[in-house]
Amino acid sequence: MVRAESPPTDREIPVVRVVLPPVALLLGATGAGSALVAPAARIPVAVCGAIATLVVAVLSVALHRRRRAMRAQRAEYEQRIAYLEHRILSHDAETVRLTKEVMPAAIRRLRVGNSPEEVMRDIVDADAANRHLPKALREQIHQVLEVIDNEEARRDSAQRAFVSVARRVQAIVNRQASELREMEDHYGRNPDVFDDLLRIDHGTALIGRLADSIAVLGGARPSRQWPKPVPLFSVLRGAMSRILEYQRVDLHSIAKVAIVGTSVEPLIHACAELLDNATRYSPPQTRVHVTAVEVQTGIAIEIEDGGVSLSEEARARAEDMLAQAQAGINMNDLGESPRLGMAVVGRLSRMYQLQVSLRQSAYGGVRAVLIVPRDMITTGPAPGIAHGIGATSRPTSSLDMSQLQHVVPPPGKRKPKPAATGPVPSVAAPAATGAAAATSHAAPSAAAMEDDLPVVTEWTENGLPQRRSRGRAPLGSHNLPQQPPPTPAPANGFRPGADEGADDGRGEEKPPGLWLEAFTKAVNGVPQERKHGEDSDDAWDKGDLK
Amino acid sequence: MSGPRRERRKADPDLHDPERLYVITGDLDDSERSALDLVTMVVAQAEPSPTFQPEQAAILRLCQAPLSVAEISAYLSLPFSVVTSLLSDLLATELIESRAPIVRATLPDRSLLEAVMHGLQKL
Repeated sequence: MVRAESPPTDREIPVVRVVLPPVALLLGATGAGSALVAPAARIPVAVCGAIATLVVAVLSVALHRRRRAMRAQRAEYEQRIAYLEHRILSHDAETVRLTKEVMPAAIRRLRVGNSPEEVMRDIVDADAANRHLPKALREQIHQVLEVIDNEEARRDSAQRAFVSVARRVQAIVNRQASELREMEDHYGRNPDVFDDLLRIDHGTALIGRLADSIAVLGGARPSRQWPKPVPLFSVLRGAMSRILEYQRVDLHSIAKVAIVGTSVEPLIHACAELLDNATRYSPPQTRVHVTAVEVQTGIAIEIEDGGVSLSEEARARAEDMLAQAQAGINMNDLGESPRLGMAVVGRLSRMYQLQVSLRQSAYGGVRAVLIVPRDMITTGPAPGIAHGIGATSRPTSSLDMSQLQHVVPPPGKRKPKPAATGPVPSVAAPAATGAAAATSHAAPSAAAMEDDLPVVTEWTENGLPQRRSRGRAPLGSHNLPQQPPPTPAPANGFRPGADEGADDGRGEEKPPGLWLEAFTKAVNGVPQERKHGEDSDDAWDKGDLK
Repeated sequence: MSGPRRERRKADPDLHDPERLYVITGDLDDSERSALDLVTMVVAQAEPSPTFQPEQAAILRLCQAPLSVAEISAYLSLPFSVVTSLLSDLLATELIESRAPIVRATLPDRSLLEAVMHGLQKL
């Protein structure tokens, strides 16, 4: 017992030591017994003593052996337990490492576009620390990667389907929009048709924005490309034209810069979503103010509404939504919330490095600030401010200003607007010019009927507008020769002295009359306004009314 | 109407501006158009100021000298109805003045009446 720790090499000595005391004791006892008993019994006693001694010796040796063996076994078990505990600990550590390091790395690689097999090769086999992973674990990792890959593929294809549907809608809307624009040009003279066309146009633009939103949420970039830089003012008006209540938006002091073509569409879309948000969540009678100023990092577009102020919590939520969309997680996060706007803005701002922030407005509403980075801005020549106005030069007509000034009536004598047929007072030109200015009569009421008179699109060499040929006889052939000077209508003018007939027909001494005459003829090419061409009147009559 | 089919200009979408015409026109519902026609002459009464809409400023610039509505429409490349709507706003604020052109006859002329008569007879 005492020597439990003793090394096995000196095993013999302990055996002897352990066996010796009982054997010696028994031998002594046997000796003493055999000496004490009667001589006749001495021999059997000695024999019994010897046998007992032998038995005890054998037993104690065996006992000792067994104890030793047990001790060795226990030591071995302790070792094994320790080993197993170590194994468990290392296994735990392995699992943690797998979850914390290996799997994320693998998934990251998978997201980048590697196949699960490639990921296994790169992450598990290439890394010495992972090479010894048991087969089952390898299988497990592989399966997880496969599942993720499948899910990813399914999500991708769903998004692609979204995007492709949205693209088709966009294509239709774009075509529709340009057709509508054509029709607007064509029916521009008929206010009723025109207004209806504008309404349809507006509706189409709203559909277009929705399609754009779907495309952006599907991870695509806006499809439309603008080849040339577009002035910021036009961009903002483009954004206005895509929201429902564009009338409530006021543009103030917009910085005179242009946006490079590739950034126009996303910027329009982002602004449209912000404007939509602003108009939608503010009372209908309030206005939304938009300003754009240059700042250090680019252009700051501020959209301010006078709506219900956003509570701190709601603002945090909206910003959160923005941030989430900027992180670009996925469409499921949108859930059933119909407020796609912020998500779209977030996506766009991530794709194009726009900065968006929502703040409390001084008016009590929300102030959205969109920072357009400097590389989206160009100072190069843009096609004028809105609608190419800057590009078109001023009229270069041969009008003589000094003569024309006489035609200007004194202020305050506006033509009464509703009375289209009423005679209008005007001021005669001074006699020095040799001819009186026209007595102004109201516009011929017939003009309102000509709804398919084309807009003036061409110019003659002396700067006069000319209608586009529509397959009829050329302008001069049926119109000019048979047009005698119009008869004066003295009874109608407030000023009988002003005889427009006199200078109308032969206007060579009176440039305004001359060009106006030519112009009127050109404009009135549809013969319903003609006074003296009865034959062609009939022709028109038959042709058009049937 | 059996009028000739309007010819299809091959619309180049790139040439269009992002803004649509209704934004320029403003509110469709409460816009009341003045009775302007293509040959009405327009004269500016004021200088354009930076607070104006660009189209209105352009009209004021163009109309320093009298200009017909048709010409304004052509210079701005905007349809007639848009121009009249813009002009109506300007008229309402007395920034421009409109004058009817030199007209040759004011009575409903005979050819028109005849056209009406023929039309009615054909019914």
